[in-house]
Amino acid sequence: MTAAVSISGLVKTFGAFRALDGLDLEVSEGEVHGFLGPNGAGKSTTLRILLGLLRANSGTVRLLGGDPWRDLVPLHRRIAYVPGDVSLWPGLTGGEAIDLLGRLRGGLDGKRRNRLLETFELDPTKRGQAYSKGNRQKVAIVAALSSNAELLILDEPTAGLDPLMEATFREEIRRERAQGRSVLLSSHILAEVEALSDRISIIRKGKVVETGSLDQMRGHARTNIAATLGDSSTQLTHLPGVEDLIIEGNRVRFSVDGGGLAAAMSVLASHGVTALTVSPPSLEDLFLRHYGERLAPETDDGGASP
Amino acid sequence: MNGQLTGTGALLRHAIRLDRWKLLPWLVIIGVFPLASFAAYGSLFSSQLEAVALQLSLGANPAFSLLFGPATDLTTAIGFVTWRVQMFGMFFAALMAIFTVTRHTRAAEDTGQAELLDSGVVGQHARLASAVVLAWLASALVGLLVGGSLAAGGAPPASAFALGAVLGGMGFAFAGIAAVTAQLGSAARAANTLAAAVLSACYLLRGLGDTLDDGEWLLWTNPMGWAEAIRPATEDDFRPLLLLVGTGLVSAALAAWLSTRRDFGLGIIPGRAGPPRGKLGIWSLTTRLNRGPFWTWGVTFAALGSIYGLVTTTMSSVFADNPFVKQMLAARATSEEQLTFAFVEVLLLVLAIIGGVCGIQLALRFYAEEEERRAEWVLSGALSRLGHFAPTVTVALLAPGVGMVIGSLALAATANASGSPVDARDIILQGLAELPALWLATAVAIAAVGLAPQLRAVAWLLLVYWLLLTMFGPILKAPDWMLATSPFHVVPNIMEANPDFAPLWWTAVIAVVLVVSGLLGYRRRDLVWT
Repeated sequence: MTAAVSISGLVKTFGAFRALDGLDLEVSEGEVHGFLGPNGAGKSTTLRILLGLLRANSGTVRLLGGDPWRDLVPLHRRIAYVPGDVSLWPGLTGGEAIDLLGRLRGGLDGKRRNRLLETFELDPTKRGQAYSKGNRQKVAIVAALSSNAELLILDEPTAGLDPLMEATFREEIRRERAQGRSVLLSSHILAEVEALSDRISIIRKGKVVETGSLDQMRGHARTNIAATLGDSSTQLTHLPGVEDLIIEGNRVRFSVDGGGLAAAMSVLASHGVTALTVSPPSLEDLFLRHYGERLAPETDDGGASP
Repeated sequence: MNGQLTGTGALLRHAIRLDRWKLLPWLVIIGVFPLASFAAYGSLFSSQLEAVALQLSLGANPAFSLLFGPATDLTTAIGFVTWRVQMFGMFFAALMAIFTVTRHTRAAEDTGQAELLDSGVVGQHARLASAVVLAWLASALVGLLVGGSLAAGGAPPASAFALGAVLGGMGFAFAGIAAVTAQLGSAARAANTLAAAVLSACYLLRGLGDTLDDGEWLLWTNPMGWAEAIRPATEDDFRPLLLLVGTGLVSAALAAWLSTRRDFGLGIIPGRAGPPRGKLGIWSLTTRLNRGPFWTWGVTFAALGSIYGLVTTTMSSVFADNPFVKQMLAARATSEEQLTFAFVEVLLLVLAIIGGVCGIQLALRFYAEEEERRAEWVLSGALSRLGHFAPTVTVALLAPGVGMVIGSLALAATANASGSPVDARDIILQGLAELPALWLATAVAIAAVGLAPQLRAVAWLLLVYWLLLTMFGPILKAPDWMLATSPFHVVPNIMEANPDFAPLWWTAVIAVVLVVSGLLGYRRRDLVWT
């Protein structure tokens, strides 16, 4: 399988600030790849390097088999981009902006354009200044999705959309995927990434700290267990792989890794378990594992990306 | 008004904090210009007779009254200042008030800042009230600055403050008018355009009132006419100021009433819908985005050229005997034709500097696209950096060139029509000789945008330096090598026996080098984003 995006050892600095610090990222052809991280982690910087807007300091970047800086024009005929914060021309209508982008990219599918305008309930005759933030976002989404691009690069595309439109957007991304397009979806909305992505990369301080399918990630993550026992037990403390143990009378809560699960279950059984909840690690758990207790970016992480 | 104005004070303090640096340049320009004219009066006229002569020749030509207002009394310094600054000052004060009010009402709604403010403990009309009061304070400050500085400079206090009342009163009235247009327009730009249209209509009515026989009643139909009726230096009649203040108060109240009849973020006049489809490419986009500036600059060049052509003959004969002006213009001029041409040269120089302003502005608009993050989106299309920048470079070089040609043609045409001794062909050639200089000014901006946009202010600073050096360098006896650093200074005089065209080529070569390095620089650099 060839890669739509292949990045290794990517470094980008802004003055003394290292926005990307040896980032690796692989997006296979035909997959929706979630690029997850809080603001300031380096998501937008990565996307802008992929688009040839910024020049990498070091590392290799391949986009659809080409060099995003050198082969920019032919590559951009094959991709479409939705910026994180869409700004429109005050005097141009949304429809004119959509057609401008389509034309620059080498044409768009008129039928699909009309269908998307209808699905997203977007009025193309308003002037740029008259659109709300959500509607500006929709203009860029319609422009990108009505192209014949092989790869969609989306930078927090649903910011400003209402929940109903978010659902519509997810529906459309699934449709794109079914048509064999690749999608690189940058986001900090866990639910969106969880719902759409085949594979996920978590970025922290300019590095990808974890990558794989949600199942793969869960495989080496911890399972949360809550149980009510027939008698109180302290035996669990000595089991390998058990952490975060809380015992409140007959009730226990703990997390356990894949290796210690069997042993833990037999201990529970021997204590006459009467109620049991086993929850697989959520994306939030995975995410929090890399980010500690906070989702907010550290202050010295800010400034690289809005 | 129960509680509807709650929070006005807090919002006003917030607005002042936001605006102090934005308002300062307006206040400085409106405040200093009258004083500068006042101080220059003594050196402009060597005798009372000269002033009377100018007043008579101005009075003989209705075009002057139409454009600048009547020259009622040029025999006193304050009368001269009134004539010089009243039109320009009234425009400035009104625009200052309009922009201030729109910025804190419609523009704040467009950007979403207003939503944040309105969610606080503020009354229904507090934000509007704070914007209008801020503009009123600024207008009052204009009046006091102008009056105070002139009075301190030695003008009769009553006349000085009458002129202050003309300018401040205009600001006061238009703050209210802008508050109304802010409720009408569909967005900030529409609101500003509406208010500016009202201002232009007033200017026109007032101009007709000043020039038409039996047209004086037209002066009483609009704020600009009322302001003029204060007539500083001759009548010092403060009663029309009440009309201006009344206009401000009544229209502000009207605006408050209108604001209850519209939705947040929308104007009473709905925004015009546009075409649902477009056929724009990057070239047509560039032209489209600059359509407004094209018209504004085109009209500016045509209007200035015509006015300059009109004044050439009058002015050069009035100033022929003034040693100061003569030294400034042409120490070597002997014949009347040469003296007039020296005067034309200065006017063309002013046009060329304005051409430089136009070119720099167009080039820097390209960077604004980048700052406002539209460039990022456009560049995600199949468009190289060169392909992105080339249309702007072309437009920024072409537009001021065309403007300069329009200005020179207009100047030549009106100068000839009003009986100037100078050959029209010479005027046009002299205008064309200014082209490399204004292209160099534009090229500096292009290079800055391409190579290092954070240094783009250099383009403005350099233009100001060139302007000061070329205009005042010779009088202040600046050394030749220093004068030669200005491309506007090295432009040869076409009327000379053997004009030296080599500096024009040098200027053009430097401009080409700068443009090329700007283009190459843009291809290499990171896109800026904020």
